[in-house]
Amino acid sequence: MKLEVNELKKSFGEVEVLHGVSFSVESGSALGLLGRNGAGKTTTIRILMDVFKGNSGVITMDGKPFSTKEYQIGYLPEERGLYPKKTVGEQLTYLAMLRGISAKKAKEQMKKWLVRMGVEEYENRKLETLSKGNQQKVQLAQTLLCDPDIVILDEPFSGLDPVNAQILKDVIKEQIQAGKLVIFSSHQMSYVEEFCDEIAILNHGNVVLSGNLREIKREFGRDRLVLSSLDETPQELAERLSNGFSDLLDVEKVQKDKVIIRKKEEMNKPVILKRLLEEGVDLEFFGLYEPSLNDIFVEKAGDEA
Amino acid sequence: MKQFLIVLKFELNNYFKNKSFVITTFLLAFVLAAVVIVPTLIPGFLDEEESAPEEGVYEETIVDDESTYEEDAEMELDALGIYVTSDAADVDLEVACSAYPAEWTTYDSEAELKEAVESEEILAGFIMKGRQDVVYVVNNLSMYDYLGESFRLSLAEVYKQQYLMDKGLSAEEIWESESFYVSVEEEVLGKDSGANYAYTYILVFVVYFLIIFYGQMIATSVTTEKSNRAIEILVTSVNSNSLICGKVLAGAIAGVLQAGIILGSGFVSYGFVKDAWGGMLDFLFNIPTEVLAIYAVFAVLSYLLYAFIFGMLGALVSKTEDISKSSSPVLMIYIASFMIAIFGMTSNSDSMLMKVASFIPFTSGNAMFVRVAMGSVAGWEVALSAVLLGASCVIAGVLAAKIFRFGTLHYGNPIKLRTALKKASMK
Repeated sequence: MKLEVNELKKSFGEVEVLHGVSFSVESGSALGLLGRNGAGKTTTIRILMDVFKGNSGVITMDGKPFSTKEYQIGYLPEERGLYPKKTVGEQLTYLAMLRGISAKKAKEQMKKWLVRMGVEEYENRKLETLSKGNQQKVQLAQTLLCDPDIVILDEPFSGLDPVNAQILKDVIKEQIQAGKLVIFSSHQMSYVEEFCDEIAILNHGNVVLSGNLREIKREFGRDRLVLSSLDETPQELAERLSNGFSDLLDVEKVQKDKVIIRKKEEMNKPVILKRLLEEGVDLEFFGLYEPSLNDIFVEKAGDEA
Repeated sequence: MKQFLIVLKFELNNYFKNKSFVITTFLLAFVLAAVVIVPTLIPGFLDEEESAPEEGVYEETIVDDESTYEEDAEMELDALGIYVTSDAADVDLEVACSAYPAEWTTYDSEAELKEAVESEEILAGFIMKGRQDVVYVVNNLSMYDYLGESFRLSLAEVYKQQYLMDKGLSAEEIWESESFYVSVEEEVLGKDSGANYAYTYILVFVVYFLIIFYGQMIATSVTTEKSNRAIEILVTSVNSNSLICGKVLAGAIAGVLQAGIILGSGFVSYGFVKDAWGGMLDFLFNIPTEVLAIYAVFAVLSYLLYAFIFGMLGALVSKTEDISKSSSPVLMIYIASFMIAIFGMTSNSDSMLMKVASFIPFTSGNAMFVRVAMGSVAGWEVALSAVLLGASCVIAGVLAAKIFRFGTLHYGNPIKLRTALKKASMK
């Protein structure tokens, strides 16, 4: 299955919040919808889930118009909330049955997922008596217990401690391996980096960057090198580089223990390396720059605002 | 449809698993059954009861009957005061006092008499300004005060007797002239409002309670998901029509069931002990099947209409706290409908107001039932009114569902009904 979103636009009153969002994702892979607060991630997901309609744009599944009714979708909304006065088991069974699962199957799945999320002892407890993290896990169990073909998670990691985040990461990885189509939004880049194949960075209602994460990283690091010296601090090294090497490179960034430089286009690595040795720079590290998703995100979405 | 049934079952469970709901229902049913059955088990209780006026039956008190006074005279007499003004030369103080048996005290001035009344020395006082011109002085005039009126009638009676005696009639002749008694027996061809009053009143009241109590509960159940933010999961997995219909109908069914169990226990227990009561409670329990059937139709339909309207109100707000505020206008409309029906029952159940009200969906539930029970109404009128009411239920249901869907993610201030209707109709 391939889900394609094309030129999605949405206005609330006079204000247009999505100015033509496009991306695509296939079964067996995960799309990370990244963006700062208010970038339009939740709005995009809500349109996808038909909570409300977009003003224009097309959403297709394998080329045909996408309808939420035709697929089993596990949806974790940004607005978390279930029935606080009901027992965990009762409401999970109810919500599963609403999605067309038989009572018996719903009960089985409920038990299975409570065990998977490690909250099985709360089955007969009222939801409101659980801690926030455990409620979140119940909510995740609810999302996945209908065995969905498509999994859409809006900020799934918010409110989870590192151990619980690890459980969730494992669950998402399993879903991807099981061939599910996974879309999730986040602004916690480290999690996204771990299992996302595709990303789309949203900023102010526009997709500023989208595509395969590995390619993006390669593209992003193409002209860049990382170096550090044994006898100089990065600051000193950076100063020396910008004074003596300005014909070859630009210093882009000084980090705690490294300097990131951008090659002037025609120059290749050996030329720079040779020159560095000639100049007597005591090299500790010289290598290709591999940007973290965080770096990419900050560069693309950390703009004017 | 399947989703609707799942929602309905889940929401019904909310009521039936609610301990206070179950306890209240069975407690009230038990109390009603006990009220009907227990008196029949106490020997002699019902025989005494026979003369006691039953609830809802008017007892006419006849005050100008001589015997009443004599009975009173044997009891403690009221202390009354009298003052004859100087202009009222033609007033015979003795005649005036003898007209009404009481402990009379004569006063010399208006002020003295008023003071005596104020200090509660005497119960009340009369200032005779002339033969036929009396001022009744009383401290606090209660609603059922009879003294002034009794004194007026008694005095008039004495004057009449005096007049007749002056004209030459003997006391016996006057007494004889008043002893003609005509007995009138009633043969009601249509409906006897007096006899139907009690059960009509109770049945109208049942719907009143259902709507007042369950309306809020239904609105709350519709708002619950918005309040606890489960709404997004729900609207993405259920058709919102199924959701709201399930919720409203669950409330409606729970209400009807509760009322049915409570009233049913009364009917059933009366069926067992009817003979012991000697049919004395027939005015409450012996309701013609036809009236009961029409009641069932109109009560259920108008209850449903209000249930959907309350559902709509629930859809407009996002916090359960906001419900009571926005539901008051609807309650007002219903109370007005209730008042019209009660007014129609006590005055004229076929008045123009009642005729109009019995076709307007908001009021027809009560008004048409009152007309059927106590007045005369044609079959087609009942049918037309029922169809109108049924159609309004459907419209209210559709609107409620639309508003519910529109208001799904509208958190914050309650949406105005007009805005919601406008937006809902746009989609």
